[in-house]
Amino acid sequence: MKKVLLLISSLVVLLTLTACGGEEKETKIKDTLVVAQGADAKSLDPHASNDQPSSRVSSQIYDGLVSTDGDMNIVPALAESWEHPDSTTTIFHLRKGVKFHNGEELKATDVKFTIEGMLASPQTHHIIEAVDKVEVVDDYTVKIITKEPFGPLLHHLAHTASAILNEKAVTEAGDDYGQHPVGTGPYSFVKWDSGDKIVLKANKDYFLGAPKIENVIFRNITEGTNRTISLETGEVDIAYDIEPIDKNQVKGNENLELVEQESLSMDYIGFNFSKAPFDNKLVRQAIGHAIDVDILIDVVLDGAGTKANSPIGPKVFGYSKDSKSYEYNPELAKKLLAEAGYPNGFKTTIWTNDNPVRLQIATIVQDQLKQVGIEMAVEPVEWGAYLDGTARGDHEMFILGWGTNTADADYGLNALFNTANIGGAGNRSFYSNKDVDKWLDEAKSSIDPQERIEIYAKIQDQLMEDLPVDPLFYKTMNAGINKDVKGFKLNPAGHHKIYGVYFEQQK
Amino acid sequence: MHKYIFKRILLLIPVLLGVSFLVFSIMSFTPGDPAQLILGESAPKAQVLALREEMGLNDPFLMQYGKFVLNAVQGDFGRSYTSGREVFGEIFQRFPNTLILAVIGVIIAILIGIPVGIISATKQYSIMDSTSMIAALLGVAMPNFWLGLMLILFFSVGLGWLPSGGFGGWKSLILPSITLGTGAAAIITRMTRSSMLEVIRQDYIRTARAKGVTEKKVINRHALKNALIPVITVVGLQFGYLLGGAVLTETVYSWPGVGRMMVEAIRSKDTPIVLAAVLFLATTFSVVNLFVDILYGFVDPRVKSQYK
Repeated sequence: MKKVLLLISSLVVLLTLTACGGEEKETKIKDTLVVAQGADAKSLDPHASNDQPSSRVSSQIYDGLVSTDGDMNIVPALAESWEHPDSTTTIFHLRKGVKFHNGEELKATDVKFTIEGMLASPQTHHIIEAVDKVEVVDDYTVKIITKEPFGPLLHHLAHTASAILNEKAVTEAGDDYGQHPVGTGPYSFVKWDSGDKIVLKANKDYFLGAPKIENVIFRNITEGTNRTISLETGEVDIAYDIEPIDKNQVKGNENLELVEQESLSMDYIGFNFSKAPFDNKLVRQAIGHAIDVDILIDVVLDGAGTKANSPIGPKVFGYSKDSKSYEYNPELAKKLLAEAGYPNGFKTTIWTNDNPVRLQIATIVQDQLKQVGIEMAVEPVEWGAYLDGTARGDHEMFILGWGTNTADADYGLNALFNTANIGGAGNRSFYSNKDVDKWLDEAKSSIDPQERIEIYAKIQDQLMEDLPVDPLFYKTMNAGINKDVKGFKLNPAGHHKIYGVYFEQQK
Repeated sequence: MHKYIFKRILLLIPVLLGVSFLVFSIMSFTPGDPAQLILGESAPKAQVLALREEMGLNDPFLMQYGKFVLNAVQGDFGRSYTSGREVFGEIFQRFPNTLILAVIGVIIAILIGIPVGIISATKQYSIMDSTSMIAALLGVAMPNFWLGLMLILFFSVGLGWLPSGGFGGWKSLILPSITLGTGAAAIITRMTRSSMLEVIRQDYIRTARAKGVTEKKVINRHALKNALIPVITVVGLQFGYLLGGAVLTETVYSWPGVGRMMVEAIRSKDTPIVLAAVLFLATTFSVVNLFVDILYGFVDPRVKSQYK
């Protein structure tokens, strides 16, 4: 018995000691900004991961050749300027004297290394596949040549996955590079406690000037309620993705603020053109008129969304505000159905995955369609089977979302509506319109922004007329912040920049 | 004794083989393609197929399992499908976090459970007994995550004394280990009480009292030692349970432990992590059980003489 007690008491002493040893000085001298997000990053190698939690951290560590501002306009970053000597060539002039966190200077060879690495990586290949080759002109000049003229090139180079890596750092770290990232960005990597937090510190030599906040910690707090609680207790300064149910809690707290902005993602209901009656335009339009999107936004999103009038949102280059969304009008819907030869409606099925938001949408739409005589069954399908089935065309109606992450219309429209992308590549409506295909190709290969805007407007009008998918809403994203945090702006693509953020006391 | 321990450790081998086979089969026969998972949704088909071949996913099932066992025996559990990290290192980074919580949780449970159980038994049907039994009932019935949230609301949001989650310093250990310890304390209390009640009604206790031994000595020397055997079993089981099943508590407190890692890995079909984590927990559980068996010997010499 004594031995047992001795054992237990020595364990207690040992644990107390280790616990104290592990304690870190996270006292509130306020040189540390704590950010909470709902999942841990997977890898901080931009070529090995394209998920949001990872991008949200990497975008503090790296820079691309170009970047986007809050309105998703292209602005210079590591490239000071660029020019187009011909329709397939872009010459980038790099900033001089930019240092990577390991002390190496940024050279044109790093750009070549990065883009060739992206082309070889299955995760990021699709972002940069238009690129044919990269040529180093001199240390600070690099030439990117595309296979064909490619209008959205700069938007694709502004994607977080196109962050410029240092050849030496990547080669040295080998397979472990994802845990030892080296960039040119405002914050450099310090440590990563898997599942708990990632610690970054200010890069004093940052080419735009040292950041005001010394340390940044990204914490992984899975539960939405706990993110809000940590914000309330002051343990966290910025919490991403406040749950709808907690929003009023944040708004009602005088120390906190809720910032919201429209994101680049759109949720839609799609129709399978290869199955009757969805090959009939009048039927699709009738359904467009039968769905009351405002109710969906109010009930399902708790107001955190705006009704969509196009498959791409207002923050996306090429968006047309003049495209027409479908007014809720059940009488008109019935009339259109009768005209299409279905005066008594018909029976159909809608597929959704087990995402709770989508299940709710399906249930509400089921009721709305019933009002016009359409009997729609809801069929939740496991995600893997869902992707396979919709790629093969087994479905009739379906619910999905799309994020135009490059903020260029090409990324949002080409995959979803080009005949060439029918099936798993993105066109799960099996929609095919020769005019749209032609216009999409034209807009993609034009490097005249004005011309592109005009073509995309035409495409969006046609899509809203044909309605291969019925765009429902653009989701709003949010973050809760402590009121003493200043200068924080949401980025529509979701990876918000911490550079530029400061505490009120630091003013 | 040494022989006994050696035999028990040898027995671990079939246990681990069984566990790994079961988990390996489940992970293999559920939908989802690991190659696609590693390369991402937009990866070209040809590359996915090539990686499948390279990973040996086209081999017969038993051959895949055999390869896994061979590598595992050499300590190579591969790399995580999602993060690309060495699985072994990942588990060793997380395990101490889980272990600390479980150990402190069990210590709290013992410190509360055994004394309260003894008092309840010696003062059966007193107010003290009824109160502690009601409290124990509540402790068993209360879901962990609910208790966790209530503690956070009270101590973090309300009083601002303790952090609401995350891993950093001894303060962050308090709430999660109380949350974990409460349920275990309740079970240990009930076990100690019933075991004590049984013992103190036996003849030798009456004899001891008749000899004029003080009540304190009767309880501590004569009764407790014999009543402890089932209690130790329960403590061992609870400890094993806390090591493997603390998922909810880890989630509520954003605690970077093995349980949460395993659940996240199951969700994303990260087979190497799932396999290694399950095997690791199974090993720890078995070792804890062995430790408990050895403890019996210290408490009751009759048991010791049977270890061969």
